[in-house]
Amino acid sequence: MKPFFLRLLALAALTGLCVVAQAAPTLVGNKNLASEKIDAATVKAVFLGKKVAWEGAGRVTLAVLKGPIADEFLKGAVEMDFGQFNNYWRRLAMTGGGTAPKFFDKPDDLRRFVAETPGAIGFLDASAVDASLITLNGN
Amino acid sequence: MRPTSRFILAGALLLGTTLLTRAAVTVGSTNVQIGGFFSQGYLKSSKNNHPFEAKDGTWDFREMAVNVSTTIGTHLRVGAQGFAQKLGNYGRDEVLLDWANADYNFRPEFGVRAGRIKYPKGLYGEALDVDAIRPFIFLPNNIYSVVRRDFSASFDGAMFYGSLNAKQAGSFDYKLFYGDIAMSPKQGVADLFNNANLFAAPGVQSLSVEKVYGVAIDWSTPLSGLKIHASYSKLDQAVATGRFLAVPALPLRAEVSPAYTTVGAEYTRGDWTLAAEYMHEDGPVAYQTQPASVFSVARQYGTRNYYASVARRFGEKWELGAYYAKAKNAHPAATDPEPARHLDDWAFAIRYNVNEHVIVKAEFHTIDGRYNVINTPRTPNPTLADSMSFWALKTTFVF
Repeated sequence: MKPFFLRLLALAALTGLCVVAQAAPTLVGNKNLASEKIDAATVKAVFLGKKVAWEGAGRVTLAVLKGPIADEFLKGAVEMDFGQFNNYWRRLAMTGGGTAPKFFDKPDDLRRFVAETPGAIGFLDASAVDASLITLNGN
Repeated sequence: MRPTSRFILAGALLLGTTLLTRAAVTVGSTNVQIGGFFSQGYLKSSKNNHPFEAKDGTWDFREMAVNVSTTIGTHLRVGAQGFAQKLGNYGRDEVLLDWANADYNFRPEFGVRAGRIKYPKGLYGEALDVDAIRPFIFLPNNIYSVVRRDFSASFDGAMFYGSLNAKQAGSFDYKLFYGDIAMSPKQGVADLFNNANLFAAPGVQSLSVEKVYGVAIDWSTPLSGLKIHASYSKLDQAVATGRFLAVPALPLRAEVSPAYTTVGAEYTRGDWTLAAEYMHEDGPVAYQTQPASVFSVARQYGTRNYYASVARRFGEKWELGAYYAKAKNAHPAATDPEPARHLDDWAFAIRYNVNEHVIVKAEFHTIDGRYNVINTPRTPNPTLADSMSFWALKTTFVF
């Protein structure tokens, strides 16, 4: 194979890796969640509306970013894709069973909301996280 | 309203809801949430009027709900939902208080809800009206009857609930409840009594339920996507009163106390959802005039109901579904012919998501048997056919 094509292949692979890395959802929260112990079971209970209050950070507020990143995050956190998660919450909200998440189309809007709302938790592309939020482990 | 006007109004509503694509309500940064849905459908049945009057085709097929809820402090949530429907000659678009309660969640394992609360019965009982979450227009009618909605929609009382983390064994969600049910003879459930053909026109005049209580458990198993459900509930002294058909001067009192035991499972894997349920319904029923010496009859009634369903999504837009449901009379009269003892229902549904807020569905049912196909002034079937079919179209706007 000619060097040009090898370089092109390497570039394509690198670009692909970057895209994959950028698409990795990262669990983020308001800074007042810094002292909360948040493991995978907690994340699941929170995103399913079973845990509505933090130990010391007030009420849980869920922020959900629409798009492919939601499928990736939600499959890992609650074993649902976005459509199933949306139906799950439609059912709860319309039967008096819970307070539905806030849904966002744009990462900037979600980031601003979580930063300004005590007790808020959500997920973002790793590249979209900044110092206004804290990154949560969730494992 | 004249039929033509009704047709135009229903058509306009259908078109309007389809065109409304971006009306989701946002209440800024406050913690007040507003949601709801509006649906308009068309139903046409052949041979029998079932599940409501539709042999000539009807646009009198719509449901609507609006809910408002908010949180107070860390653990308290309050909210309410108004609901109205028109199903053939039932509902009349009158707004009912569907649920209205205060919910204090102490911790994931324990919470208390008080007020008007959705009735947990079966996998989908609480969400009977929320058709946006499924491919089907009608859930299996043997377990989730739309005409008898009052018996299982909501109750006034209290509920204890919680979610117990069983580690490797998954988790168990439980609900324990007690209360009574506000009912009206104008609602469809009155026809459960009117169908006995013992009440003089205009039928049942009052309806009440002394108490309702029960328990529901959902086990989210270690197998991802598999949920097992079990529930038991009992309506104690559901009483209907009116005038005796044979001697209209005499009052007639009917009383039933049905108990429902339901077990079921739902399995979701990828785009597939499989579900199956069995419901055992049993209880005493009695009809008695005052004085009782004129007419009195008491017996046991009961039904055995089950269904199996399958649904598959195709991308974000399409979903297909089908189910087979069977209802069987557990205590038939010796003179009942075979078609009056059972009802077998095959349903085939297709759903299309126009966008995030608008859904269009079509559904076809072919039915063998006529058990629980009623004959009342509001759902007239003077001669019952042993088999039938119906089809429906429905569009829903959800926000």
